[in-house]
Amino acid sequence: MNKFATVSAGLLLALFATAAAAQVVSTGAGQAWPAKPIRFVVPYAAGGPLDIMARAIGQKLSESMGQPVVVDNKPGAGGNIGADIVAKSAPDGYTIVMGAVATHAINPTLYPAIAYDPVRDFTPVAMVAVVPNVLVVHPALPVKSVQELIALARARPSYLNFGSGSTGSTGHLAGELFNVLAAVQMVHIPYKGGAPAMADLLAGQVQLMFDNLANSLPQVRAGRLRALAVTTAQRSVFAPELPTLAEAGVPGFDLSTWFGVFLPGNAPRDLVTRLNTEINKALGAPDMKDRLERMGAAPPQDNSPERFAAFIKTEVDKYARVIKASGAKVE
Amino acid sequence: MGDLFSNLALGFGVALSINNLLYCLGGVILGTLIGVLPGIGPVATIAMLLPVTFNLPPVSALIMLAGIYYGAQYGGSTTAILVNLPGESSSAVTTIDGYQMAKQGRAGAALGIAAIGSFIAGTFATLVIAIAAPPLAEVALKFGPAEYFSLMVLGLVAATVLAHGSLLKAIAMVLLGLLLGLIGTDVNSGVARFSFGIPELSDGIGFVIVAMGMFGFAEIITNLEQGDEQRELLTKKVTGLLPTMQDFKDCSGAIMRGTLIGSCLGILPGGGALLASFSAYALEKKLSWNSAQFGKGAIQGVAAPESANNAGAQTSFIPLLTLGIPSNPVMALMIGAMMIQGIAPGPQVMTERPQLFWGMIASMWVGNLMLVVLNLPMIGLWIKLLTVPYRMLYPAILLFCCIGVYSINNSAFDVYMTVLFGVLGYFCVKLECEPAPLILGFILGPMMEENLRRAMLLSRGDPTTFVTKPISAVLLGVALLLLFVVLSPALRKKREEAFVED
Repeated sequence: MNKFATVSAGLLLALFATAAAAQVVSTGAGQAWPAKPIRFVVPYAAGGPLDIMARAIGQKLSESMGQPVVVDNKPGAGGNIGADIVAKSAPDGYTIVMGAVATHAINPTLYPAIAYDPVRDFTPVAMVAVVPNVLVVHPALPVKSVQELIALARARPSYLNFGSGSTGSTGHLAGELFNVLAAVQMVHIPYKGGAPAMADLLAGQVQLMFDNLANSLPQVRAGRLRALAVTTAQRSVFAPELPTLAEAGVPGFDLSTWFGVFLPGNAPRDLVTRLNTEINKALGAPDMKDRLERMGAAPPQDNSPERFAAFIKTEVDKYARVIKASGAKVE
Repeated sequence: MGDLFSNLALGFGVALSINNLLYCLGGVILGTLIGVLPGIGPVATIAMLLPVTFNLPPVSALIMLAGIYYGAQYGGSTTAILVNLPGESSSAVTTIDGYQMAKQGRAGAALGIAAIGSFIAGTFATLVIAIAAPPLAEVALKFGPAEYFSLMVLGLVAATVLAHGSLLKAIAMVLLGLLLGLIGTDVNSGVARFSFGIPELSDGIGFVIVAMGMFGFAEIITNLEQGDEQRELLTKKVTGLLPTMQDFKDCSGAIMRGTLIGSCLGILPGGGALLASFSAYALEKKLSWNSAQFGKGAIQGVAAPESANNAGAQTSFIPLLTLGIPSNPVMALMIGAMMIQGIAPGPQVMTERPQLFWGMIASMWVGNLMLVVLNLPMIGLWIKLLTVPYRMLYPAILLFCCIGVYSINNSAFDVYMTVLFGVLGYFCVKLECEPAPLILGFILGPMMEENLRRAMLLSRGDPTTFVTKPISAVLLGVALLLLFVVLSPALRKKREEAFVED
């Protein structure tokens, strides 16, 4: 026991010594950023696509910038807890967040009591991925196209159920937007997470769902679900045979799940530019491209901070309109 | 049948390669370790290891992650028995009799029977998966919201059987558990209930927080109150490191019934595995010839739920492997790991990647065998732990608990809440109210409400949906019958007698 204690104490000392030495080297080489580890806040639990991408990007950034990028999962309140932590941090480049459509476009309208402003309290750095959603129906439902679905929904109002992972998710809001744009009345059945919703869709308890493409495609290929259309303005390269909802007769329909990296508000310009360059370099690596493709996400084109910032503004406005039109509001 | 053997041969061919054996061993060792450290669960561990699996072959990655999962299930019962700390929801019920056995100096027998029961259950469940995974997955899909609701009702009625003291107190604790479960965001409207504007409360209180506070912290406070002499008496009378032949004879029925219940409930993706250990305990308490001893250190009270939770942990891979639906957060992480490897989890995994599917199934059995081989010799070591002076043991336990609770959400708020529940738990000990019914109410309440409201949404407000669906109607019928049995005068008398004895 004593021997063990001595050995481990020795090991610890050695560790501290190396850490201290490393510290001296990096600060000695000038005060260039980054001079210490970077905290990468993920406002969701570990294991989701967003967390996995954050970990993969974090690893690449650590290698290219010479400082560890540590993923810190702060789940809770639909991502608001983690986002709020970063909103209140200093914009010194040592705290960054993987924001998403929920934290930076939907929640601010959905939850009036939210503590941060998605535009004012953050500096957009770079988009990471845009993942299309797909409208899938249970194969027993006698519809083969969006038009047939609309006809059925009009013939039998309040007969169809659509599931979603939670109230206020893109799946929920896509359904509400469909109700508004196609002038139909389908009933929303919320679940605690996408997995149980998918289970009930496979079982036919609910008839349809607006689910993310990568998640649904295997079920579609196995014949357990039928895909009718994608929710984005452009067709997806991963399922080019599927029309967009706009093409299929619901003009103006354009929703997607996206996520990207943010610094706290008012971050210095050169810091934003440097981080944007590093992230785009990471996203361009072949293994990262591969990983994004497996999620059904095309790598973003012209991924500048300005373009991302403009995108956020239009997204916030868009979801504010959808939420208002659908009456889906959380007090 | 020939298919089965060739499939299993393929699977063992994959699982028994040197590389995969090592990943499996690494997984179960790591799993056991984090299971033994209270509160540090498999979710955090697997999340941290995900980047490591990027560069492993898919089968090896999944074998290792699966090993962590069932290793942790296994290690969790070790602390439940030794120090009254359930690390996982499924081992909460093991504390009832397991800790009593430890107090009587029979910790070795309890740990041994848990290990052997788990192995038998794991072997059986592996066979079930190999023979019947696809048809069973179809059965699982028959369970809609109405059926889940009725299953939960049955579970709650059975909860009153869990207590071995006053029935009134047991019901009160179940209700308190239900009330605590109300905290959090309402699934239908998205409104936060009883969160008092605290964002950390908007997702409800975590199970580990309640369990760790009510069982672990409360137990430590109670122990400290007793003074040193009494505690040392407990540790001095340790007898026998392994269960005796008589113990095996006594437990064979309990292990069998626990295995069957666990295998059945584990298939249901909507939280069936959680119910497995509770149901197995409740059933055993009703059926066992030794039912008077339940709650006072009955070895069957350890064997049944431990077999059930291991069988359930194993069969909960069925919805994952055959439908691509994860039944708990660990499974969700495994799906993440599969996606990274470019494997789309779904019904086609079995046909398109037979080496992966059967390799994983074979590795489960191999992993279970490793766990027994590893753990039986370690029992002696664990028992030594009990002889560590309590003034040194309890700060260490508290520290690990705090680290564990913090690591779930990386939130200090959760640690404060655990302390609060520790104080509540201490008062419950003083009032002779037991925490197990509270935990069951806390777990089942929110699931029950969710499914009730979902079923009502789907039926457009028609409550007859619960009796017109056959599975649901049968479950409700059984619950009614059980309620009648509990309330019938003859049985109540027997219950009260049992209570008077101590």
